[in-house]
Amino acid sequence: MTSAWIIFLLRLSAIALLALIGGAWLGLAAGLALACAGLLLVVMSHVANLSRLQAWLKQPEGRNLPDAWGAWGDAFIALHRLRRDEEKKRERIVADFEVFSQAAEVYPDGLVFLDADDRILWCNRAAESQLGLNGESDRGLLIANLVRLPRFAEFIANALPGESLQCSPLGRKDLDLSLETLRFGKDRKLLISFDVTQIARTEAMRRDFVANVSHELRTPLTVIAGFLEHMLAEPDPDPAASRQQIGIMDGQARRMLSLVDDLLVLSRLESETYALREETLDVRDLIFDVADEARRLSAGRHSITCEVQPAQLKGSREELRSAFSNLVSNAVRYTPEGGRIVLRWVLREGRGVYSVEDSGIGIAEEHLPRLAERFYRVDRSRSRETGGTGLGLSIVKHVLMRHQADLKIRSEPGVGSTFSVEFPAWRVTSPLA
Amino acid sequence: MPQSEHFSKQYDSDLEDVRARVLQMGGVVEAQILAAIECFSSGDTERMAEVADTELRVNAYEVDIDDLCVHIVARRQPAARDLRLIMGVSKAVTDLERMGDEAEKITRMAKLIHDRRGMQIPLQAEVRRSGDLAVAQLRRALDAMARLDPDEAERIISEDALIDTEFRGILRQLITFMMEDPRTISTALEIVWVAKAIERIGDHAKNIAEQVIYIVRGTDVRHTGKERRRGATDEER
Repeated sequence: MTSAWIIFLLRLSAIALLALIGGAWLGLAAGLALACAGLLLVVMSHVANLSRLQAWLKQPEGRNLPDAWGAWGDAFIALHRLRRDEEKKRERIVADFEVFSQAAEVYPDGLVFLDADDRILWCNRAAESQLGLNGESDRGLLIANLVRLPRFAEFIANALPGESLQCSPLGRKDLDLSLETLRFGKDRKLLISFDVTQIARTEAMRRDFVANVSHELRTPLTVIAGFLEHMLAEPDPDPAASRQQIGIMDGQARRMLSLVDDLLVLSRLESETYALREETLDVRDLIFDVADEARRLSAGRHSITCEVQPAQLKGSREELRSAFSNLVSNAVRYTPEGGRIVLRWVLREGRGVYSVEDSGIGIAEEHLPRLAERFYRVDRSRSRETGGTGLGLSIVKHVLMRHQADLKIRSEPGVGSTFSVEFPAWRVTSPLA
Repeated sequence: MPQSEHFSKQYDSDLEDVRARVLQMGGVVEAQILAAIECFSSGDTERMAEVADTELRVNAYEVDIDDLCVHIVARRQPAARDLRLIMGVSKAVTDLERMGDEAEKITRMAKLIHDRRGMQIPLQAEVRRSGDLAVAQLRRALDAMARLDPDEAERIISEDALIDTEFRGILRQLITFMMEDPRTISTALEIVWVAKAIERIGDHAKNIAEQVIYIVRGTDVRHTGKERRRGATDEER
């Protein structure tokens, strides 16, 4: 028997006793009236407690939990304890959920939870930016209504685990995604979008590189092989013609040599183990040196001038020289006769800026971002006749990266280009300072 | 009553289905226009054939969706917003189908332009830019349709003027090209067609945005100026 029953029975027997004594003393009617009044009081106390419980349940806060005597009091205390435990459990679940959703939020791949009809339940930030969703306002919308890539609707409806869809979202040619789905729970789906732009780009670059190297090496070899074949077939060659042919073959062989040299330089620059030799260089000497070399290449066809503020630069002499001279020889190659080339070194807020300005043919804007790619050429026919290997700017870019310097290109077709290199302040010392 | 609940659930899913299909069709048309503009830039003949093939799919979508709409009207007799959805959607389908035609027109012109080898193609970048602008308008209009967002639709309508300005700019520059060098006339005329098709695509995107406003708010904003959309009276105009 629970305490509630015991208390109830005790009260009942107390009332019965009272009624019996009253009945014996004042008569039967008075005894019955006393019993009724006693029972009524018990019922009323229950109703009062019940109504307090109901009032509390409307706003179940721990503080204003009703206090009562007897069995109701016990019940209230038990209820209070239960509620407190629930509260704690809920707080823990909320905290756990918070941690999970925060982690999912910062997860670098896009995540979208979908229900059985492929409606969006939740998505993280990466998914918002990759798929053009809005996690707040798009909840409950069909995902295929928002991601309208033609193959997507079918994919999301029927994809098997492990199957993936490679695509670029409409209007986002710069983005390559790989989409996969996982099924979980009852009819729930998780859509994962991986950004594979970088991987796709690297793969394409590798493919292009192999094709380009083969092509660049093949061209001079074809020329040489052609002449050799001709010479073998000719029993009695004309010495003057042979001399000229050998001259051309020599030129082509040198071309191949410089190409292979450039490739070796690039691969050495790229290897991480190859340490940078730090020396302190006089910028003035370096630039004058580079300008002299450029004048030899130009052979008087351009006016080449230097404007140099005295300073010293920390870095590898050999590498910086090759980067500086690559920029100048490009200017010489792409500036028509009579043009002007200016080599500058200025100090800007402690940073050193080397720039080469020319009045050359210029570069259209769309080529600028790809200019430093290996073998990237604005105009295939023209660049080969000027004798470049197509690797110059790649070498420059790698050297500058090793020196924590930035390359900026400004150019206007038909007006000229300015290539400028900014070195960080800690590499530069100025004698004035 | 379980039966009527079942009935209304089926009805809801029918309406949802129509909207989903229109948006799918929109995605196909958007991809088609992007491909057409790409063809104009690159002269890729394989892609041109692809654009023409897509046209068949777009037409099939149109027939299919129209059929669905008729069925819903006949069977369910929709009212209020549901009716507006059906009406708006079937008009948007017509717009989308026309856009597909314009995309095909662009590739046809691109073929003519690129077949004339060695000719410098004037204003290629400008045409491309206005094309990207028109496709972006379409994408936003379809997003507004998916989200039933009339505010975004209003913004799209007010930005249509941008594409019109671009078109007039291209036209003006082409005229100077033709005056300077009469040999460019035939190419320039074909570029006018391309630019015009792009401008039309922008107009169709605007129409779709207008349908979104009609579906959500029930107000017809076609052929009304900015003032009317904002609720000013006729006397003020």
